Amino acid sequence: MDRTSVKIVVAGGFGTGKTTLVASVSEIPPLTTEEILTEASLGVDDTTGVEGKSTTTVALDFGRITISPDVVLYLFGTPGQDRFWFMWDELAQGAVGAIVLVDTRRLDTSFPAVDYFERRGIPFVTAVNRFFGECDYTEDEIRGALELDSRVPLVWCDARDKESSKLALITLVRHAMARLKVKA
Amino acid sequence: MSFETWDGDDESAAGRFVPLYVLVNGRTSPRDSTLDLATQVVALPVDTRRLEPEYLEIVRRCAGWISVAEIGAYLRLPLAITKVMVDVLVEQGYLAVGTPAQQKIIDTHVLDQVIAGLERL
Repeated sequence: MDRTSVKIVVAGGFGTGKTTLVASVSEIPPLTTEEILTEASLGVDDTTGVEGKSTTTVALDFGRITISPDVVLYLFGTPGQDRFWFMWDELAQGAVGAIVLVDTRRLDTSFPAVDYFERRGIPFVTAVNRFFGECDYTEDEIRGALELDSRVPLVWCDARDKESSKLALITLVRHAMARLKVKA
Repeated sequence: MSFETWDGDDESAAGRFVPLYVLVNGRTSPRDSTLDLATQVVALPVDTRRLEPEYLEIVRRCAGWISVAEIGAYLRLPLAITKVMVDVLVEQGYLAVGTPAQQKIIDTHVLDQVIAGLERL
């Protein structure tokens, strides 16, 4: 009797469509779970507005795809606020890799996510969400703005569309496997 | 020990009578460090009559394989608390644990299955 869980992280800046992407492919409506933060886990400058409060909570959305009777895939969206890095560590540990969603109106909001996965050598693909309308940038311009390594796949997507989200996920898993083969 | 400092705010809002830290005896991390949000657990067929109601609720949720994250979401428990409680139940033989994600990450056979599964969606 065994059951294997596989994790994929869905990251990106605030409002880039992370929960939308999770919802488009998940077999259950995305669930929300909470983590309690103590002051020690927050940066010194980040407690503005929560003075006198010893704890705060950070919400985490996730979805599930049953792959087979013994393999389940979980998609975890990163918390909306970039400052909860310790939660990112928990999510990224043991993950196949990450999808970094990019909103072309605010490219810079996805830069911390790109930087995070790059530094840790975690496989990731960038998914440019077209949900927000026509994109004014070319792939090269986006790659330049995010300082993307040429080996990092970039896909165009609409996070609301199941087929499009599936493609982003498959691209990520293939990319992760290709990297494993290079290492082996 | 003074109880004056406990404001009880978070718990009363959730209608909880027993403070969360009491449930876990003040433990803040599971002894089994491989316990992950995505780790699957399932109830074992054992006598649960001696369990505290909060623990029993978890075991009842585990009639089929379920992840630590889902238990936390359904029972509205913070993740750190869920992990410790699940860990206690595993330790005491109430729950069995599936293979954590990280142990099979290099297993491309599993990743092949994931791709096939996604394509079927």
